[in-house]
Amino acid sequence: METKRMKQAGLTLLGCALLLSACSGNGAGGQAEGKGSAGANAGAAGTGGAAEPAEPVSITWLNVLHTASPPTGTVVKKIEEATNTKLSFSWIPDASKEERINTSLASGSLADIVTLTILDNSSVRSALKSGMFWEVGPYLDEFPNLKGISADTRKSASIEGKLYGVPLQKALARNGVIIRKDWLDKLGLPLPKTTDELLQAAKAFTEQDPDGNGMDDTTGFTDRSDLVYGAFKTLGSYFGTPNVWKVENGKATPEFETEGYLNTMNYMKQLYDGGYINQDFAVTAKTDQQQKLAQGKAGIYVGALFDSKNLLNMAKGVQDGMELAMVNDITAPGQPRALWSANNGIGGLLAFPRSEVKDEAELKRVLKFVDDLMSEDIYALTTYGIEGVHYSVDADKAATITNQDLWQQEVQPLAGSRPKDYDYAIHDADKLKQEADRLIAENADYAVLNPFYSLESQTWSTQGSELQKIITDATYKFILGKIDEAQFKAEVEKWRKSGGQSIIEEYEAAYKQAGH
Amino acid sequence: MKDSLAAPASRSPGAALKSRAAHRWKGWRRDKLLYLMILPGFLYFVAFKYLPMGGLIIAFKDYQPFLGLGGSPWVGLKHFERLFAEPTFLMLLRNTIVLFLMDVLLVFPLPILFALLLNEARARRFRNAVQTLLYLPHFMSWVIIVSICYVFLSVDGGVVNEALASVGLPRIDFLTSPEWLRFMYIGQIIWKELGWSTIIFIAAISAVDPQLYEAADMDGASRLRKMWHVTLPAIRPVIITLLILKIGHTLDLGFEHMYLLLNSINREVAEIFDTYIYTAGLKNGQLSYSTTIGLFKGLVGLALVMLANRLAKKMGEDGVY
Repeated sequence: METKRMKQAGLTLLGCALLLSACSGNGAGGQAEGKGSAGANAGAAGTGGAAEPAEPVSITWLNVLHTASPPTGTVVKKIEEATNTKLSFSWIPDASKEERINTSLASGSLADIVTLTILDNSSVRSALKSGMFWEVGPYLDEFPNLKGISADTRKSASIEGKLYGVPLQKALARNGVIIRKDWLDKLGLPLPKTTDELLQAAKAFTEQDPDGNGMDDTTGFTDRSDLVYGAFKTLGSYFGTPNVWKVENGKATPEFETEGYLNTMNYMKQLYDGGYINQDFAVTAKTDQQQKLAQGKAGIYVGALFDSKNLLNMAKGVQDGMELAMVNDITAPGQPRALWSANNGIGGLLAFPRSEVKDEAELKRVLKFVDDLMSEDIYALTTYGIEGVHYSVDADKAATITNQDLWQQEVQPLAGSRPKDYDYAIHDADKLKQEADRLIAENADYAVLNPFYSLESQTWSTQGSELQKIITDATYKFILGKIDEAQFKAEVEKWRKSGGQSIIEEYEAAYKQAGH
Repeated sequence: MKDSLAAPASRSPGAALKSRAAHRWKGWRRDKLLYLMILPGFLYFVAFKYLPMGGLIIAFKDYQPFLGLGGSPWVGLKHFERLFAEPTFLMLLRNTIVLFLMDVLLVFPLPILFALLLNEARARRFRNAVQTLLYLPHFMSWVIIVSICYVFLSVDGGVVNEALASVGLPRIDFLTSPEWLRFMYIGQIIWKELGWSTIIFIAAISAVDPQLYEAADMDGASRLRKMWHVTLPAIRPVIITLLILKIGHTLDLGFEHMYLLLNSINREVAEIFDTYIYTAGLKNGQLSYSTTIGLFKGLVGLALVMLANRLAKKMGEDGVY
């Protein structure tokens, strides 16, 4: 109780400091204020050096929150005990991370650890390149867990050959198709293995009343307003679309100028015109999309395969007969099996600002903390919680969540902070989750990488996302039948004229320079 | 004032100045308590409205946060050139102006009309009840209002579309049609703000001298006549003041509302300066560029207010300053 109050007081103080620094308006003033709380940590870590100090070290962490509210209670305390630290978090909701990270960078109100998940954002990129953060590349091998980060991952997460933080390692390619197995069985359909069979299944789900309630109230696909993490990009991989860029003989082609992209748009258009997809998908949010499946209004979900467990949980009490099957090897006619990789498996960086982490000794202490986070014990803590409280585990190290509500409150918010989220001995006892993990691991062999991910294009980092809007808008309009192919091509031409051409040239030059 | 001070020709100019200064000092001393009372408000405006304006200089710099305000290089009018050269600029300007005109023509007269109607209602209780019910939506946030609309207007099971379908009409995709965006936007503003904006006009109407109505009654004026010849002219200054203030916000349509309605399909008519500043500036980190847009918006607003004020004065009204 007492410590909780202390923590609250600390957080309030930190909040005030942030507020003050935000008000002071310019970078220099902001930095001075922000240091107030972290300066104290500096002392503690500094005296201890790399050796384990007796006193717990205070570490502040500007972290991204993927759930509705920050973690409460016990788990954070356990982590503090295990790592001999005193943690204070500033949480940034995932939905507003761009503006919050940008304003934090602009006002210098940072923390010892800053979670950066949007590495292609121009201000994040220029902050990294400016030397605002420590370059950690040379230090990683001093720590047992960090040492295990593969050379490929390090290279992908680097900017101009320098690694400015510990990469958050994600599975390379985690998407696939989740489909109502019970509906397929009822209608006598096979598990789809090709895009045509998938279309047939979607058609049957829409027209043949798979839930048998005598009403025309189901669709095939449920999708959301996201051309990347929704269905579009995964379907695109099936049709042979490259991941953002294709490069051949030093010539770069953006994905939306390829045949595969066009085929994918036509496929989606077919789904839309036939009513085999929720007609509002262009404005549907993720939770609504998932609810549609959970409530038995749709039977096909394309997204991260591990969502299946969650979807089945959501359906409990609503669609009790629901059986989900996952497919990860769908192909289009004449296309090899392939699946795009989100950011080449880099979930972001844990970066350490020089303004907060003052010297090498302090950096090593914080790195030690991150190294500890990657250990089996802390992974179990941040994934499943505390044994006996949140989950139980059997001899096979298969964990079952026993208190779902408490887990959602205390553990789930921490899941996004794990530096690595696969390849641990402890695993979920849930069959669906195990199957998802197996399929995701299998996907890695077919992953399509973005060849330019770690390369630099000035125009891309400053105007890339503005320009991307032209393409995104045109793609939706094509699918909804508001423009035709010629008009789509005209939009692509507009993209080239407004800066796309420079992006292509800059990437080609950078690609050449990188020794290809 | 000036003439009266300069009038005694016998005094030398120096003496006049001196006496004026003394006069002013005396005024200060006499009213020191009043000035003290102004002080907090004055400080507020200096601290929160005038000092931050210094930040506007980043519109003329390539602002890099880690270089700081002083360290970032000057680039002159580069960002303004980019703003005016970019094709999005015309789209933003067009969308903003069209929405503003719809706002002034469709939304602005409604509360006046409504206040007049309410004023004619006999039953006091009825009048109060209607007024209260109507201004309740004002206290809801845009997120709620847009979400309610989303649920109602959705093509997949939205009430409106179900109703259309049940009588055999085709479904309308309100949410993803550029044609419907503006009406949806204006409709939501009316629903949310109508009752609230009525309050000021009702207050103005209740201040109208009853003798005027009595005189009109004596002349045998009908209700409509009284409305036209007594009520409306009496509240004209209020209407004009509010109109001028509204014009000042021409390019300032409000970020939140439009951002919630904006999507890939309706962007060509929905993107306005406020949403563009957010996406280009804050999300993309182009702080200098978005400051430029903000500055441009502010200057246009200022110019329009001055213009409207001058027009109002020409028409014999008081204006706002």
